[in-house]
Amino acid sequence: MRGTRTQKYRPSFVARPLMREEYHDLAELFVREATAAGASYAEARIHGGTGCGFLLKNGDPEPPIIEDSFGIGTRVISNGAMAFNATNILTRERVRELAKAAMKMARSSKPLVKDPVMMDDSKPSKKRVLVAEKEPVEGADPNWLKALLVELDKRVVGRHEVKIANRLLVASGGAEEKYYVNSDGAKTSSRVPRLGFFGIFTAVLGGETAQRIVQQGETGGLEIVKRIGLFDLVEAEAGTLRKVLGTARKPPTGVMDVVLGPELSGIAAHESVGHPQEADRILGREGAQAGESYLDKDSLGFKVGSPQTFVSDDPTIKHSNGYSPVDDEGIEARKRRLIVDGRVTEFLLNRSASVKIGAKNNGASRSTGFDREPIIRMSNTFVEPGDYTTEELLKEVKDGIYLKSFTEWNIDDKRLNQRYVGLEAYRVRNGEPKELVKAPVLEITTPALWGSVKGRSRRLEFEAASCGKGDPIQGIPVWTGGPDTLLSKVRMVTR
Amino acid sequence: MTVRVNKRMARFANDSVTVMNGVDESGVSVYLSKGGRRVLGGSSNPEGGSLERFLGVLYKSLLSLPKDPKHVPLPPRAWSFSPRPDHDKGLGSEGLVADSAMEAISSARGAGARRSAGSVETSVLSHYLLTSNGTVGRETSAKALLNVRAFTSKDASGHGLSCSSSARDFRPGEAGRTAGEHAKRMANAKQPEEGEYSVLMNPTVAANLLSLLGEFASAFSVEAGTSCLTGKVGKKVASEEVTLIDHGKTPGCLEGRTFDDEGQPTQSTTVIGKGILKGYLHNISTAKRFKTKTTGNAGIIDPGPWNLEVAAGDSTYEEMVSEMKKGVVLTSNWYTRFKNMRTGEFSTVPRDGAYLVEGGKVKGPLRGMRLTDTLGRMFSSVRMLSKEREWVQWWEVDTPTKCPWVLADGVSISRAYGGAP
Repeated sequence: MRGTRTQKYRPSFVARPLMREEYHDLAELFVREATAAGASYAEARIHGGTGCGFLLKNGDPEPPIIEDSFGIGTRVISNGAMAFNATNILTRERVRELAKAAMKMARSSKPLVKDPVMMDDSKPSKKRVLVAEKEPVEGADPNWLKALLVELDKRVVGRHEVKIANRLLVASGGAEEKYYVNSDGAKTSSRVPRLGFFGIFTAVLGGETAQRIVQQGETGGLEIVKRIGLFDLVEAEAGTLRKVLGTARKPPTGVMDVVLGPELSGIAAHESVGHPQEADRILGREGAQAGESYLDKDSLGFKVGSPQTFVSDDPTIKHSNGYSPVDDEGIEARKRRLIVDGRVTEFLLNRSASVKIGAKNNGASRSTGFDREPIIRMSNTFVEPGDYTTEELLKEVKDGIYLKSFTEWNIDDKRLNQRYVGLEAYRVRNGEPKELVKAPVLEITTPALWGSVKGRSRRLEFEAASCGKGDPIQGIPVWTGGPDTLLSKVRMVTR
Repeated sequence: MTVRVNKRMARFANDSVTVMNGVDESGVSVYLSKGGRRVLGGSSNPEGGSLERFLGVLYKSLLSLPKDPKHVPLPPRAWSFSPRPDHDKGLGSEGLVADSAMEAISSARGAGARRSAGSVETSVLSHYLLTSNGTVGRETSAKALLNVRAFTSKDASGHGLSCSSSARDFRPGEAGRTAGEHAKRMANAKQPEEGEYSVLMNPTVAANLLSLLGEFASAFSVEAGTSCLTGKVGKKVASEEVTLIDHGKTPGCLEGRTFDDEGQPTQSTTVIGKGILKGYLHNISTAKRFKTKTTGNAGIIDPGPWNLEVAAGDSTYEEMVSEMKKGVVLTSNWYTRFKNMRTGEFSTVPRDGAYLVEGGKVKGPLRGMRLTDTLGRMFSSVRMLSKEREWVQWWEVDTPTKCPWVLADGVSISRAYGGAP
């Protein structure tokens, strides 16, 4: 954020401490009750928080939304049968009932369990995670958020021939708190404040329109706005959208060299590396919803890309949207090297998948709320930076395309057949980005995409996203990122 | 408004139950308005004075806000909504989810599947509304949803759904059998040639795309520039075969509501009548801005559809296939994304049972393809709909939608560069 905006719009209230001390006792009570009732494993997670959101539509405010939520999510295992049971009625009596009901659910399903659930012997954590806030996120009250959005809207509108006729701007701030215990001795707690921005801009010129979705988010306090330069970033996005609508030409098609900017590198890493390397998909647990994987549990070492392909997922990056250094099974998480030298080196794992895969757990279990079971999730997934500058990388391209941002994208449920439609995209001639081109399409298989990687730039940038998975669905905060990535000889088409 | 939800779910994979899920949750949604100021609150933290403290924070926030000159107050008229409880209490029975999972798994196996994955969910949802102008409303709905995917190999799968508001009409065995049959038929599927095809969409696929059209009918989406229906009231947005109606409550619907979040009565609203866009879905605020009346679809901020119904046609599946020269039959899809919601340009990825049709005959199975179009063009090319319809709600269909099979022409099918995935 520029200037003194954060001082001018000083928070008007600071929320009370969120989680009440007696809730900790309820989590411990659940584990005691379930264990006494015969559970071979029991866990309880008090999970909730408060937050505020504000929406500005074409400059007009909608009523702010303030939320306050706490509840208890629990799991038990009895003879290899697992039950998840949750409520937001936080009394000792209700928690005792919850333990009995969870055990009953697990036992009743035992005849239908052919593949027993077992937890590995990961070291239980006792860690307390507190994300530092220079300016407490509770200051993101309705007036602060509104002032932020009004200023952003001014930057988007500006005075230009090409109008951004429709603007949907949403800002939110809040803190998520958890207290977790299990029967293996884990006892962790966390407070993760988060600030997020989401916008949809529609530029109109004559009968033509172009649309851009922008999402930014980090963990921390109100200082995030300044740290990420949100005003300049959003203003630049609006300017680019105008240029795309006003000047972009028909793109070249055929086989050519393509440079993916960090935004494209990031979404490709997330969709076609992170997802297929989630062990629960590999084992078939998400088969009917988010799908499975083209990989199987024996695919470690499988060559999926060129020797220049390096992709990682790191939950320990400070300020990141997917910051989760301790997972929701009470395990300390670490960076995962998903692809090294073009080969699959590691899957994303939780405690039960570690047993089935026969690999050491890396703490990727996350849940979005007390009413959702923890499942295997990405955190911050990215292509590792290389040693080129962006300019040096572009110099390698004689006649191709530089894809800096995208609009439409999708991928099949085995994570093999993907499509990215460029928004800000340039024709590259003799190593120089030239004119904007309109909606070039990269529709490519996963081995063809990563097999064509020829080089990576030094810069590493991230975008915020919400990743959907599970049933009931869980939209979890992540970062996707990467450097500029040079793809050699891939086919480009057009819509 | 208090909302209480009681959910039970059995999830399964590789023919084995992976987890039993239970959630019992009560939440309170609050809308405060005073002197042109408005604030919304949501709390699921009702214990030990938390709610009172939360209301205090809300009220303080309300007073701190500047007046909104465009604020539209709720009308003073008080309503009383107390429909006769008609939800099926049988859906709350303890063993239903596990028994249904078992039935779906064994039916899929019986039809040729080697393994199945899926979920069975029953939920009972209660709303209780009270407003300062005296409106009172109570309503409870219940539903059962089964989503099953059967496999004969990693590349050969089939999909089945059963979505019902009554235990009597809930058919896990039928859904499992459908999934298993497709999984068997999908062995040795090939990639299609790229080009334009007629596309026969089963209710699952058609409901995904038509429910998006229903959601684009929200006046909020129109104002926000995120709707391809913008500026098209009274104009042709689909072929005259297409009629799309939103119901607050209709027999068999999955999420019936007689009152909306503003305490106004819901209704049946024709969004598209014989291909013509009849109007948008409104709450009180958007209705005033559009110089019309609310359609009872609040959302305080964003009006939206409750239960969508696509009018039936008069064709059978066999008649529709026989009318296709070069086409594909699709039975499931996912990951529909837009290049531009204002123009409706999208692509989606078919999965599970998909088949080539040539000269009116179903030929071999297809895989590894993508469907690209605009919603307006696609639904303007619809020429046949089936008599048979099904309620659909799952991962890819948020708004419950009663939908027939739909045949559209001239749809672009592409495949990825890099060989057969």
